[in-house]
Amino acid sequence: MASSRRSGRVRITISLLLLSAVLLLTLDGRGSGPIQSVRSAVLTVLSPLGDAASSVASPFRNAWNSAFDQGDLKKENEALREENDRLKGDITANSIAKEQLQQLLQLVGIPFVGDTPVVHTRVVSGAVGNFGDRLELDKGSSSGIERNMPVVTGEGLIGKVVEVSENRSVVSLLSSGTFKVGFSVVGTAAIGIAQGTGGDASLRGSNIDSRQAVSVGSIAATSGLAGSPFPPNLPIGTITAVRTNDAALESTVDIKMFANLNDLVYADVVLWKPAG
Amino acid sequence: MDHPAIRYVLIIGTAAFLQFALVTQFRIAGVSADLLLVVAVAAGIVAGTERGAVVGFVCGLCLDLLVVTPFGLGAISGLVAGVVAGALEGATVHSARWLTATIAFISSGAGVLSFAVCGALLGRSDMLSFHTLTVMAVVGISSALFVFPAIRVARWADPEDALLRAAVR
Repeated sequence: MASSRRSGRVRITISLLLLSAVLLLTLDGRGSGPIQSVRSAVLTVLSPLGDAASSVASPFRNAWNSAFDQGDLKKENEALREENDRLKGDITANSIAKEQLQQLLQLVGIPFVGDTPVVHTRVVSGAVGNFGDRLELDKGSSSGIERNMPVVTGEGLIGKVVEVSENRSVVSLLSSGTFKVGFSVVGTAAIGIAQGTGGDASLRGSNIDSRQAVSVGSIAATSGLAGSPFPPNLPIGTITAVRTNDAALESTVDIKMFANLNDLVYADVVLWKPAG
Repeated sequence: MDHPAIRYVLIIGTAAFLQFALVTQFRIAGVSADLLLVVAVAAGIVAGTERGAVVGFVCGLCLDLLVVTPFGLGAISGLVAGVVAGALEGATVHSARWLTATIAFISSGAGVLSFAVCGALLGRSDMLSFHTLTVMAVVGISSALFVFPAIRVARWADPEDALLRAAVR
């Protein structure tokens, strides 16, 4: 009797907790303010402590990484040697290509960030969870950073700010698939929506009018259409594959991001907010 | 200070700080141990399904504060881990270290899987991939190792006499 009463209580407790979790998920999905505020407050409190602990743990972390990543480091070293040799031969060709690229970008009107002010930041840590899709930057609201501002490197868009405290901000990476970005294909009238695939630096672009001629090798940049959370003309990546569905009059593309998301050290937050 | 709830708050706070500041820096295949999940599992093993559920839920909420995934996913994950640990421990007729480690491995894996599945249901389809298996394996193995000290800590929070009193109520 007591046992059945007890198991009944356990079931009720578990059900109530599950309902609470679903309620929290719903509130967060609707962009509830208090949850964001609490997350920011926790970030503010923990960041300095985390920095101190990171400094103390640094030698141990390096030893750990060298122990578990030695195979990868060897492969990476060999790859870098090969690449170095190849790059030496490419220097001359690249200097010419760079000049041509600059001319091309000017021609199609991509000023990159242009006159929009940016905040230069340092990446202080990667993901806390195991479904890592975030970076932590060493500057926050005291430097003018706000939620949803775009984050770029010298190569292109990498993500957007999702959490801000006074001296820290958290960036959700574009490759993670947690948000979408409107893009246009440079040199064409094609526009579409790109989203991360959860893999490294690869995006899937969809909703492209199949009547628009999109070719492999074209450049995708943010479209900046009305209501877009990103300014226009931030380079995103190169189109690596195009698939056309004639029945649906729609094309989908694969995009390889320009920005290298591995071992990011610095990133710029573009102080841009959508109009209205 | 004598009340289990206060002790668990101290334990969970410490685990959250260690997770944020220290544990995430040590990764294998890009995956780190999950101390908060270990605490949930330990509570389930020591004090049963109900305590495991409550402690797991609170541990998950703490994790939710540290990550940018939808708020509440961690709570479900911790809840599942605590409940599974409590149920498995309750179903075993004898106690052995390998059995405890296996329970920790399975319940942590269940916690990670529920996180990924719920995330996928909420539109984060990228959460269900080969990476999920890696996370389950690394978190499961690390939980199987860390669960023994965590059980000692959970026994400090939930002394046996308090558990007995609760059982006969």
